[in-house]
Amino acid sequence: MEIELVEIRDFLAQRPPFDALPEEQLDQLPKSLEIRYLRRGSLFPPGDAVKGYIYIIRSGAIELLDEEDNLIEKLAEGGIYTTDCQLIDFSQVTHGIAVEDTLLYQLSCDVLKSLRMTEPAFDRHFSESIRDRLKQAVRTLQVSGETSPIAEMTVEVSDLIRKSPVSIDINSTIRQAAELMSEKNVSSVMIMDGTELAGIITDRDLRKRCIAAGVSSDRPVSQIMTTNLETIQESTMAIQALMTMTRLHVHHLPVKRGDSVVGMLTATDLARHHSTNSAFLASDIRKAATVEDLARVSERLPDLQFQLANSNASALHIGEAISSITDSLTARLIEMAESELGPPPVRYVWLCGGSQARREQTSHSDQDNAMLISDEMKPEHADYFEILAKRVSDGLNACGFVYCPGNAMATNPKWRQTLQIWRKYFNTWINKPEPMALMLSSIFFDLRPVYGEVEIFNELRSDILSKTRGHGIFTAFMAANALHHRPPLGFFRTFVLIHGGKHDDTFDIKHRGIVPITDIARVFALDQGLPQVNTTERLEAAAETTVLSRDMGENLVDALEFIASIRIYHQAEQIRKGLKPDNYMSPEELSDLERKHLKDAFRVIQEMQDAMENRYQGGRFV
Amino acid sequence: MLTRFLGLDSIRKRALAKAEPGILHDYLSTPLTAKTTQCEQLSIVSLDLETTGLDPNKDKILSFGLVEMEHMTIKLETARHQLITINEEIPEQSAVIHQITDDQAATGVSIHDALQELLQRMAGKVMLVHYSAIEQNFISNACQKLFGAPFVIPIIDTLVLAQRLFERRNHTIQPGDLRLFNLRPRYNLPNYKAHNALSDAVATAELFLAMASEMVPQPSQCQLKRFLTR
Repeated sequence: MEIELVEIRDFLAQRPPFDALPEEQLDQLPKSLEIRYLRRGSLFPPGDAVKGYIYIIRSGAIELLDEEDNLIEKLAEGGIYTTDCQLIDFSQVTHGIAVEDTLLYQLSCDVLKSLRMTEPAFDRHFSESIRDRLKQAVRTLQVSGETSPIAEMTVEVSDLIRKSPVSIDINSTIRQAAELMSEKNVSSVMIMDGTELAGIITDRDLRKRCIAAGVSSDRPVSQIMTTNLETIQESTMAIQALMTMTRLHVHHLPVKRGDSVVGMLTATDLARHHSTNSAFLASDIRKAATVEDLARVSERLPDLQFQLANSNASALHIGEAISSITDSLTARLIEMAESELGPPPVRYVWLCGGSQARREQTSHSDQDNAMLISDEMKPEHADYFEILAKRVSDGLNACGFVYCPGNAMATNPKWRQTLQIWRKYFNTWINKPEPMALMLSSIFFDLRPVYGEVEIFNELRSDILSKTRGHGIFTAFMAANALHHRPPLGFFRTFVLIHGGKHDDTFDIKHRGIVPITDIARVFALDQGLPQVNTTERLEAAAETTVLSRDMGENLVDALEFIASIRIYHQAEQIRKGLKPDNYMSPEELSDLERKHLKDAFRVIQEMQDAMENRYQGGRFV
Repeated sequence: MLTRFLGLDSIRKRALAKAEPGILHDYLSTPLTAKTTQCEQLSIVSLDLETTGLDPNKDKILSFGLVEMEHMTIKLETARHQLITINEEIPEQSAVIHQITDDQAATGVSIHDALQELLQRMAGKVMLVHYSAIEQNFISNACQKLFGAPFVIPIIDTLVLAQRLFERRNHTIQPGDLRLFNLRPRYNLPNYKAHNALSDAVATAELFLAMASEMVPQPSQCQLKRFLTR
């Protein structure tokens, strides 16, 4: 190579996809280029081009537009335009315009083709679909770095449990169960009624409910077994299982895959695996006697988030870990309140909403909660629940989960009601959707029980889902609502490029990246009557129905994971610097590759929003 | 304008009559590019020389760098950089500027071979330079010495074009304003760190593209005569 073209070589070498070329190819590359200059206002690509080229912007800026002159993309230094070589990247783009005086490098499609044939890493940049690129991006996020003890808490329950569950028929005697337990050397046994899990018996049950209580060991196991079991899914994270055990004060949790029982998780299984840090957190929550104790535990939440982020836990798992700790804190606050106020006069269940309910919380978000009380409630019970709600909400606030600015909390009498009233609320929201309901939708259409009588909530939930399922008008309103938050188009130099060609210095990664996906997933879940609340689970379940293709479902899941990870890293960096974590990101924080992947993720959202606009004709109601 | 062009062509013919048979004779036999040629049809060679000093009678050419343009597009595949051997030490004050050492110069070709390549490449084309006095005079002087006749070629000089643009806008020209690397930022052209014959030839070619698009925004109205400075 002529040494003086080093400058051009170095310019290319810094940028994808050319950074994937080996040295000797890079050295040769400048010789294959041609240089053109476009004055501001000129059409792009240059109309007189004699053959197909890809264009690389050396200096200046190009706007790419669709048929109707809508801005699709804006290229700055290093930007590449590949459409003329029959590559799919900007399929909507029909023309472009130089918006600054622009120096262009052009490389003929023939040269590009031969480079792609000899250099697989280079080729991948052009041949991979958005889908493959996102998948790869998510994978890269998770394999970099070593797994630390903290990350071990992000292993799934299925990795910890014994493979074959020990179970016995419900008609067996207590002695038979005890013999089986001795033989298999286990501390618990599952009691099966046919294929259904009816209950469990533990060593402790044998001691307390059989021997100490003087019950004959010839009696059926059903007499001493524990029923009404909390179970966990095998995909649950270890840390979440630990928090569930802490909250319920149990040492055994049956594990399910879908509806079928696959094993039993014991506290010992967990003890072998959990990291000291989260174990201390769990035991400190359990031991906490006062709100102050809990507040001190809660102060460590940002640290935990930081450590999880550093140990390459996925955003999905970090959200679950933080949410389950918040669950445990909430449950402990309720226990403390109940022990002072006495047992509740009627059955009730404490519900959380929003990101905690979706198990997508980052540390110390605002609290969103509600109380669902049995219809047996009498007017004289109101005081009890009011005081309870206030204790818990104040406690959460003291723990850093500040009061909800929209007052969507159990302390608000409106959101502390009986099943009957809650049914009416949802009935109105679903049948007469109005802006207020839509505002609340991200809180109250994502509800999850945290403490109390889950059955009451299950009743409400099946009622809600039976009403929303296939409800055209309601779904259209929800779909229109899901189009409110649009992702940015991409990045342009140090700016964020938004629709209409405007620039911003920063962007709100939560509202422009994460919220659009959670909104989309909620529309699908309600339209299809799916019980899932977690966004990833909603998308996976929706992808099994006709409403969402499997490809698009996977794309959205990957897009969410990538965007959420970028947000987690952004917040981890702020935590490290002792700042309060927020959602405002500047493009300067992002590497070229991250920008590219984020742009892919935004494009997936955009595509889905466009499809949704058509499908539900959401645009009509905006 | 017409008489000036005829003037250049008659200079060529006069030189052709004087030139000894061989390289320069062949070069001068090729008709010059017509000044009414559309820009799109132009073949331009952007050239830069490094020399031991500024006096063509005393100083020597140390290297040339060039790149060709067709269809108002710079073809980097034509990029050339050539060192030239001189039979004397390189003066220190010039070595500071061009950074060519005696050892490097020793690896170069003779001035004869260098001229042969330059003349073959530039036959029938337009020469693009920034500050034409150096290139024109050094090459012409060398041709006179070696082949007995001067070098004749239509020239576009981006320094002169810049001067005209400044004057047309009534801008006072400050010292240094017309230097290649001070003009480029005005056209949003990148800053090149390296300075040598080839990178300067490329930089000049880019500057010309930018100036041409400013002076004649409509490509269909773009003709050579608009830019000729000789």
